[in-house]
Amino acid sequence: MTFNMGGDMKKFFVLLVMFFGVSAAWAQDLTVDEIVAKANNRSYYQGKDGNAKATMVVTDAQGRTRQRQLTILKLNIQEGGDQKYFVYFHKPNDVKGMSYIVWKHAGGKDDDRWLYLPAMDLVRRIAASDKRSSFAGTTFLYEDISGRSMDLDTHELSASDAAHYIIKNVPKDAASVEFSYYMMKIDKNNFVPMMAEYYDKSGKLYRTIEALEVKDIQGYPTVTKMKAADLNANSHTITEFSEVAYDVGLTDDIFTERFLRNPPQQWLKE
Amino acid sequence: MRRAFLTVLAFFSLTVACAQAVDLPSWHGFVEQAYGGRVSRDSLTKHQNYNMLEQRWQLKTRYRIPGENALSRWNGVLTYKGDFLLDEYFGASGSYEVRECHVAFSPAGAVDIKAGRQVLTWGTGDYLFINDLFPKDYVSFYIGRDDEYLKKPSDALRVSAYPKIANIDFVVIPHFTPNTMPEGDRLSFFDSFQGGIAGRESDRNAVKPALQAENMQYALRVYRTFGSMEGALYYYRGFDPSPRSYLDEANRQLFYERLDAYGASVRSPFAGGISHAEVGYYRSRQDPNGTNRLVENSMFKGMVGYEKDLGHDLKVGGQYLYEQKLDYAEYQAALLPYDYFWDERRHLLTQRITKLYKNQTVMLGLFNFWSPSDRDGYARASCAYDMSDQWKLVVGVNIPWGEDMITDFGMMAKNKNAFVRVRYSF
Repeated sequence: MTFNMGGDMKKFFVLLVMFFGVSAAWAQDLTVDEIVAKANNRSYYQGKDGNAKATMVVTDAQGRTRQRQLTILKLNIQEGGDQKYFVYFHKPNDVKGMSYIVWKHAGGKDDDRWLYLPAMDLVRRIAASDKRSSFAGTTFLYEDISGRSMDLDTHELSASDAAHYIIKNVPKDAASVEFSYYMMKIDKNNFVPMMAEYYDKSGKLYRTIEALEVKDIQGYPTVTKMKAADLNANSHTITEFSEVAYDVGLTDDIFTERFLRNPPQQWLKE
Repeated sequence: MRRAFLTVLAFFSLTVACAQAVDLPSWHGFVEQAYGGRVSRDSLTKHQNYNMLEQRWQLKTRYRIPGENALSRWNGVLTYKGDFLLDEYFGASGSYEVRECHVAFSPAGAVDIKAGRQVLTWGTGDYLFINDLFPKDYVSFYIGRDDEYLKKPSDALRVSAYPKIANIDFVVIPHFTPNTMPEGDRLSFFDSFQGGIAGRESDRNAVKPALQAENMQYALRVYRTFGSMEGALYYYRGFDPSPRSYLDEANRQLFYERLDAYGASVRSPFAGGISHAEVGYYRSRQDPNGTNRLVENSMFKGMVGYEKDLGHDLKVGGQYLYEQKLDYAEYQAALLPYDYFWDERRHLLTQRITKLYKNQTVMLGLFNFWSPSDRDGYARASCAYDMSDQWKLVVGVNIPWGEDMITDFGMMAKNKNAFVRVRYSF
């Protein structure tokens, strides 16, 4: 009999870490910033790299639906900091083959973004200082996909029950965003953000993001289904992540013009 | 021969691939109906009330080569895209254009090759091109076809290499493809042989360089990033893609003079937006001193541009282009008394505004060209509505204007149109 070092050991360590995480939280040792940092890392920085297929279904107020299907590749440059993203569009058919690279910069500097339009063989640099615009015409915002820098908000633990922390986040620069604050509900066990509720300048709830399904993938608790709702427009988008994998061995060169023009075949989830 | 060879190669690869296919590649594309009505009648052209009425059917596929052959080990991918066009403007004549048919593969870790018919684009301009001398279709641009059709494909071999110090693109184009320019039947334009704005009566013709070794075209780009800034150097050896030189005045023949171009560009984030700058030196090889009145002179071109996202899905951009005909004194000295002549300098400004509405399903766009030196311009406005993932509706106008009949936009002034396109994608 051989001993399986890979999966079992990893799970053991994850359990160990989770155990300490839980007991630490139980002991109220974590500051609110530490909780938010853990949640942020959980959402955006798990593993050295990762890839997934995302299927996004947008439903408008009349019940009409639109579908987006993309492959997302992600590489962490530094935990909680810079990242690189590669996005390849499979659907809708009129944008099939389009690809997109983001060099995400933590700490104030605008992200670098390039878009490749295969029909014209055109690499376009995207001027995109507004991170609170819709991602690919869905209810999700660009910032929901690539993450909002922790430093942009002040965080306050407003409540906590047996299972969740409730954190109130207030933007430092109120004029830069459309919300006045948002509440985040974070699972105490694994620090997965389960719900975010955004309140407008008049204090009315107008936008929610909700984790609908969390799965353990290679020992990483991963949101595999989530919903963003726009309560004013009465529309919502449900995103399902499939074929999620971490630590697959993505390299820095994939996130360059070379692969923007010639998408990396081995990573595309056709 | 080369073209035939490439076609055979592509066909062979496709056959091999199909034979080995476990699952057949999926086909996508669209069907589109388009109509462009003239804003005012133009009695010079074939039809006086409209300049576009057509149905288009595009089919495309992309296929990763399977199996154990070399192409599959090299991540080989076949791409095919063809358009069937039923053009009512020319009496419902049908035509088929292969827009892309190429095989792309990576024979070594840091080398990519793309061989076959392909669209080629580089440079930093927005509708302005200095170092991108690959063929374009300005007729499609003026009548309101999709932006895709501004670019024409080339039959080419593209070799890309990625050594540590910089990335290199080297393109060989054996067969010359010229720009598609107004010829009078669909769009009236300034024809110096007719001494004015001409339509159907224009009978000038442009002689293309023959398919032979010394007429091969080469294009080179060396580029890299410096942090968030991109820098590139360009070289092109080939022909002016528009016919600007006279071969035989008596027989109203033009030709595409030999051209070398050297250039550079930078593109970088700046003050919350994206800025770009590009320069190019065009050396007219058949008239290097500018003393031949029949052949286009050497030129200098430079531009700067800036684009910014103002939030709420509103983007604005602007560019400035400067062009100077070199050896202008020699050009003036060589002119004959009744020759039409062009200014030494041209200044051109462009402006773009794009605003998205309704969760990015409605796009309003306005693009303006304006030349204070030529006293002409061209406004392009459009509204595109993604009705669903399949249906798309685009309406727009093309308004070229100008005081002078010999300037780029001024000569197009009778071709103002309003168009509508409906497309179903699958």
